[in-house]
Amino acid sequence: MRQAGTYSSMLAGGMSGRTGPHSLPLARIKRIMKQSSEEVKMISGEAPIIFSKACELFIEELARRAWAAALRGKRRTLLREDVAAAIANTDLFDFLLHVVQNK
Amino acid sequence: MSDDSPKSPAGKGKRPHESSEESPRSVDGVDEVIREQDKYLPVANVLRIMKKALPANAKIAKDAKETMQLCVSEFISFITCEAGLKCMKEKRKTINGDDVLVAIATFGFEDYIEPLRLYLLKYREVSKQGFAQGMDYSNSMVPQQGFPQGMDYPNASVRKLLPVTF
Repeated sequence: MRQAGTYSSMLAGGMSGRTGPHSLPLARIKRIMKQSSEEVKMISGEAPIIFSKACELFIEELARRAWAAALRGKRRTLLREDVAAAIANTDLFDFLLHVVQNK
Repeated sequence: MSDDSPKSPAGKGKRPHESSEESPRSVDGVDEVIREQDKYLPVANVLRIMKKALPANAKIAKDAKETMQLCVSEFISFITCEAGLKCMKEKRKTINGDDVLVAIATFGFEDYIEPLRLYLLKYREVSKQGFAQGMDYSNSMVPQQGFPQGMDYPNASVRKLLPVTF
């Protein structure tokens, strides 16, 4: 598993330099957290930081699994249906079933 | 799976790229407008991370990118709700880093825990010292936006590393 990006991206300002050391915007993460439920009121500084890394890991995993589905379909273009297949094939992603079942 | 499924930030029929639309939401009787773009992480960031995981020749359809945005927001909501429940049970008001980590592990993402702990450790070290010794950040001019408040850098050439404002 490639770890090289972890610290260099954190300390070197990210790949584009525009979002700072974390590759995902912390304020936006915090806003999404707040929208998740009425009870969520106060969030510590570290929580969005953890999410910025967790989301990265999540996106990578879902993308890889979706890509496996694309390859099975003999394509090199990732489609929505590949993401849906990855979700359907992975118990861990059961919480996402409703996201891809809606039209 | 728990029945307390988090409210989906997606909304039926709303696509992440339609950032000019606003959806009104009433919170305690006060209307709060949440812009579509605020419900999702920016597509450019999401795309960049997806590309890291895929071969160089991979192409990604627009609706796959949008679906990924939806999924990430759902991931954040899902974990946050669980972390929030834990806080409520323990009569705490603030969701902290450990709550998030526990929720992530609870839902089966144990593989993420080690890299996350490492990341958090490094973050804490870096924020204590202001910069890390021996790290190569020779091309790390971090732009001005989002800098830590209240941190003094007496030496103007010290690179500012942390984002920060919450």
